[in-house]
Amino acid sequence: MSVSNLLENWSQVRHEHPVNDKPHDPYKWAMAIDLDACTGCNACSVACYAENNIPVVGKERFQHGQQMHWLRVERYWEEDSREFPDQGFQFLPMMCQQCEAAPCETVCPVAATNHTADGLNSQIYNRCIGSRYCSANCPFKVRYFNWYDYPTDEMVWPAEMTQQMNPDVSVRSKGVMEKCTFCVQRLSAAKVVAKGEGRIVREGEVQTACQQSCPTGAISFGNLVNPESRVHKQWAAQQVVLDADKQAKDEKEEGPGLRGYRILEELRAYPSVMYLERVRESAV
Amino acid sequence: MYRFLRLPVLLVGFFMAASSYAASNSQPALTTEDALGPQVVQPIEFPHNRHAGLHDASDPTKGGMEINCQYCHTYARRSAVAGIPPLQKCIGCHQNIESVRNKSRIVELFKYWDAKKAVPWKKVHDLPDFVRFNHERHIKRFIEQQDRPVQEACGYCHGDVKEMTVARRQKPLAMGWCASCHEKDHPVVAEGGTPIAGQAYWYSFQKPAAAQDANTKARGPNDCWQCHK
Ligand code: SF4
Ligand code: SF4
Repeated sequence: MSVSNLLENWSQVRHEHPVNDKPHDPYKWAMAIDLDACTGCNACSVACYAENNIPVVGKERFQHGQQMHWLRVERYWEEDSREFPDQGFQFLPMMCQQCEAAPCETVCPVAATNHTADGLNSQIYNRCIGSRYCSANCPFKVRYFNWYDYPTDEMVWPAEMTQQMNPDVSVRSKGVMEKCTFCVQRLSAAKVVAKGEGRIVREGEVQTACQQSCPTGAISFGNLVNPESRVHKQWAAQQVVLDADKQAKDEKEEGPGLRGYRILEELRAYPSVMYLERVRESAV
Repeated sequence: MYRFLRLPVLLVGFFMAASSYAASNSQPALTTEDALGPQVVQPIEFPHNRHAGLHDASDPTKGGMEINCQYCHTYARRSAVAGIPPLQKCIGCHQNIESVRNKSRIVELFKYWDAKKAVPWKKVHDLPDFVRFNHERHIKRFIEQQDRPVQEACGYCHGDVKEMTVARRQKPLAMGWCASCHEKDHPVVAEGGTPIAGQAYWYSFQKPAAAQDANTKARGPNDCWQCHK
């Protein structure tokens, strides 16, 4: 790509707010996570490891902050003056929020992470040069860096375990940044089937690995543009609007008692994951 | 002051000038560029020309059989990979073709058959592991929707296989080469092909405006995740 070509098509590479110049059509992948249903079992995190060839780094490297879990289940203690065994806490599964105006995208020196037409934040491993700038700029801290060449590391994938790796996902090597992809390999597979039949992907045809494995059905995933989808209905019911940095429902004096919210919304990253607040005041 | 900057500034200027010149002639090149891949040694020297080549009316013992590529590579139209035909496919025809039964290659083929072993064919068109290529989509697009001849459509990426004996990679199969086709304006509806009405978004990052007719053009998908995994 020549320089002038790059300059001419700059708007295609960098989007301040992609929805403005390219309305999502026919897909916008989004998620809703019900924190009241989440029991903190970590099944989603394990499923993500299995689906996406994520290296299991071990205790020592984890302590050095070199963990690779694309989906971490965060634990928050409740400050309600009760002591440990009785003290309540809650969980929050945190993965890449697939921001509409992603802070990571604008700082990548080689445009290895950018926005797709489906409203995903893509990460191209073979383009990444490992500057780690994106991770520094991520408000959610959900980007993980390969500090070692895990594929050649006997401790991470012993010989027989390579048999269980997913052929549809690259095995990342040293010096590459990675993160949750909304299981893009499943999305493309579903889209190929749908295109062959001359339609768009129907609700329920595609699941992310974390959604599929969640025993309480806390995670729902789907096409936000499709009014039939569960995700669309949840977002609509909670009056959470994708391209707003402040939800109208929160402006009202007496809140309508809705649970939906997005994390760090005020940073104007416009995340694609909506969380549903826990109902109980304190857990017992 | 800033004398040390002179050369860099000059060089950057040259670079900009050269690149804007390049951009002004920037209709992407046709996908005809050839870059021969390595010669792959196969267990049996399969003659593609004999099977897929054109008939020779004057001498039927020469020339080809004009067999459709998809007769043997059946998976191409319904999956991501074209697949290598199973041995049954070869034997299915060859058990009935007595005239070539004693040729050394066919004798070799039947040895595998009698030993109940698959022929260990080697891969010729090997893409890097971080690339996701889908045969089905390209066949649907060019052969089914645009009604182009099978050998022409396969040949966009595989070269002139009907002239080859053992297949050899003829196209670069590199990203810039793929993009040179994806960046071109292709007709959305072709004569004789299936009209695809409001579904042009499949082929382009940006949906073409308004109604589509035979003159509507669209580009191939160009976001990174379309092909990278
Ligand atoms: S959507 Fe897929 S990649 Fe993202 S956290 Fe869930 S399982 Fe992992
Ligand atoms: S699998 Fe479901 S319940 Fe378990 S931690 Fe993940 S979101 Fe929570």
